[in-house]
Amino acid sequence: MAVGLTLTYLTTKVPNFAYGSFVTIGGYTSFSVFRINHVNPYFAVPLAFLLGAVVSVAMYLGVLRTLARRGSSLVALMISTLAIDIAFVGIFGIYSDYIGSYYRIENTKNFFRLLADFSLFGLPGLFYVTPISLATITIALFLFLTRTKFGVAMRASVENPSLARVLGIDVERAYIFAWFLAGGFAATAGSFSVLWLQGGTTFGSGLIVEIFAASVLGGLASVYGAALGGLIIGATEILLTQTGIAVFGSWISIYQKGFPLLIMVITLLLFPRGLVSINWHRIIRPIAVFVGLIGNRLGEIFRFVRGE
Amino acid sequence: MIDLMIAFALYLVVSLSLNLEAGFAGVPNFGKVMFVAAGAVVAGSVSGRLAAFILGVNTHGNYNGFIAQIITQLDSSLSGNAVLSIEILLLGVLLAAAIGASLGFLTSYPAIRLREDYLGMLLLASAQLFQIFLGGYEPLIGGTQGIEVPNLFGWAGNGIEVRDVVVLGFLALFAGLVYFYAERVARSPLGRTLRAVRDNEVAARALGKDDVAIRRNVIIIASAISAMAGALLTFYVGAVNAESWTRITWTFWIWVMLIIGGAANNAGVALGAFSFTFLFKVVDQVKFYFQGSIPFDVNWLEYLMFASLLILILAFRPGGILPEKSSVTLPWRTVAEIMGPKSKARSSSGPQFGTPERAKGDPDEPSSAPTT
Repeated sequence: MAVGLTLTYLTTKVPNFAYGSFVTIGGYTSFSVFRINHVNPYFAVPLAFLLGAVVSVAMYLGVLRTLARRGSSLVALMISTLAIDIAFVGIFGIYSDYIGSYYRIENTKNFFRLLADFSLFGLPGLFYVTPISLATITIALFLFLTRTKFGVAMRASVENPSLARVLGIDVERAYIFAWFLAGGFAATAGSFSVLWLQGGTTFGSGLIVEIFAASVLGGLASVYGAALGGLIIGATEILLTQTGIAVFGSWISIYQKGFPLLIMVITLLLFPRGLVSINWHRIIRPIAVFVGLIGNRLGEIFRFVRGE
Repeated sequence: MIDLMIAFALYLVVSLSLNLEAGFAGVPNFGKVMFVAAGAVVAGSVSGRLAAFILGVNTHGNYNGFIAQIITQLDSSLSGNAVLSIEILLLGVLLAAAIGASLGFLTSYPAIRLREDYLGMLLLASAQLFQIFLGGYEPLIGGTQGIEVPNLFGWAGNGIEVRDVVVLGFLALFAGLVYFYAERVARSPLGRTLRAVRDNEVAARALGKDDVAIRRNVIIIASAISAMAGALLTFYVGAVNAESWTRITWTFWIWVMLIIGGAANNAGVALGAFSFTFLFKVVDQVKFYFQGSIPFDVNWLEYLMFASLLILILAFRPGGILPEKSSVTLPWRTVAEIMGPKSKARSSSGPQFGTPERAKGDPDEPSSAPTT
């Protein structure tokens, strides 16, 4: 998810507050496919990808590019993405009411996890499918961005639009494709997540804290950083919450989302450009030197004790 | 009608405070709901306990646990004691202002360091977290269940209409004061300094303005005002719960008002708040007529409607209905007279003013004119 957000941020330089709603799109695709057509939600994943991607492109072309061409300020663009998020809440509400009354399905607004997963070796299938698909997406994206001509062109137009334009790259097409991918990724994530977590009209927008935290931690300017950030945020949230529950009791699970936010705040205040911006050599070398010094001293002490 | 006016007064106050921050000072506060909710929390959790303490109502050491019982006792004592009611009301509002101000002070720490987009993300996320916290931490306002708040307008009579009128009186006074204050700020040298900081931070700093302190103070004041509004709303409604403080109700709607009316123009914001409240009311009235004929809740259409309205306004009239006016400036001749013959001779060599209205507009620092 964070990868997609970073992609869209890179193209338009606007944090997309509606991004969480694309997750909801995926969630509802799975939900509808499972509850209305009674098909295993795994088959909904490609559909969710396409749907999210198309809506995302429509949002970019219809609203953001239009506004940006009219010379809207950054804040105006941010508000417009917020407006789109609210519009999505309305659309999901209408949709859930509609399918609820038309197909006589209960709990369309807040549904528990869909019980449709297969199980393999005693673990739900999701445990195999999600990491595999995440790895596939990351590797595919990596290969696309570094090995294909269009991928390289896309990176170029994202990093330096004017220079890319001079070289004859269709920057606009690259941007549209970036939004296409971003919407698709978010919807894919959403369609997976309803297999495990509960969903609803606002479950995607509720994720916005984690998504932004992951993107910011990775550095909003780096796609790989975002993947790393997503991994770190996800892992720390779960681990810290589990540790917190063990240490302080179960009440701390309410504040689960506090950890990503805390990480985000610290990141923004200490190194606002994210993990990728840190000059690791400058940090690692002093640590190495320090460790070396300590080792040296320890050796001296050790020799002293042995009486040499 | 009265509830329309009450909603208008509250929205006016909060949107004016947002206007101070976002319109004049250029701090995009996407976490407005946090500050309004903070005021509501203070009103909800502190004032009832305070009243119980003063009136000697037994809370059994568990205020929220016996809330229904306590509130009934409090209401019966308070309805006969107008002075105490108003005292608790004012105390609650002041405390809310203090809490709001300190929250604003905390917020200002990142706000003066981060760029707009990062700040927007941070505030949005913090507000989300704040709401989660309110929903989860029950001792404060009872989480998502909510708690009741003592009726501090009980002395105004039992009729619900009478009470509403009294509340409206309070709110109108408050909104009027805030409007007066916002207008004073907008027309003062401070207002022009705010715009200068917003438009060109470096230039403002070069002219000796402390942009960091200015931004911080604006955020603190605006947060205090919004918290007061939240407290008053809570006292009016008589109950508070965590569910009603969402990104939509107290961040997005407020931004809609600001954008419709016109940022950095108090009259515009007032107009925006009024049109929003009015539209909302109209939709509320009308929707029952066709509720039966469509298979979904009409409220969702409301969301869609205001979202598209906002985007349309942003696209076709980015300044809002009443766009920002350029600052009223002194005529150049007056400035020249103030500055005396020496500078007149200097400036006559070449009046190259990139931003004439700001340079000339500050009569309290005439020396800035030739330096631009």
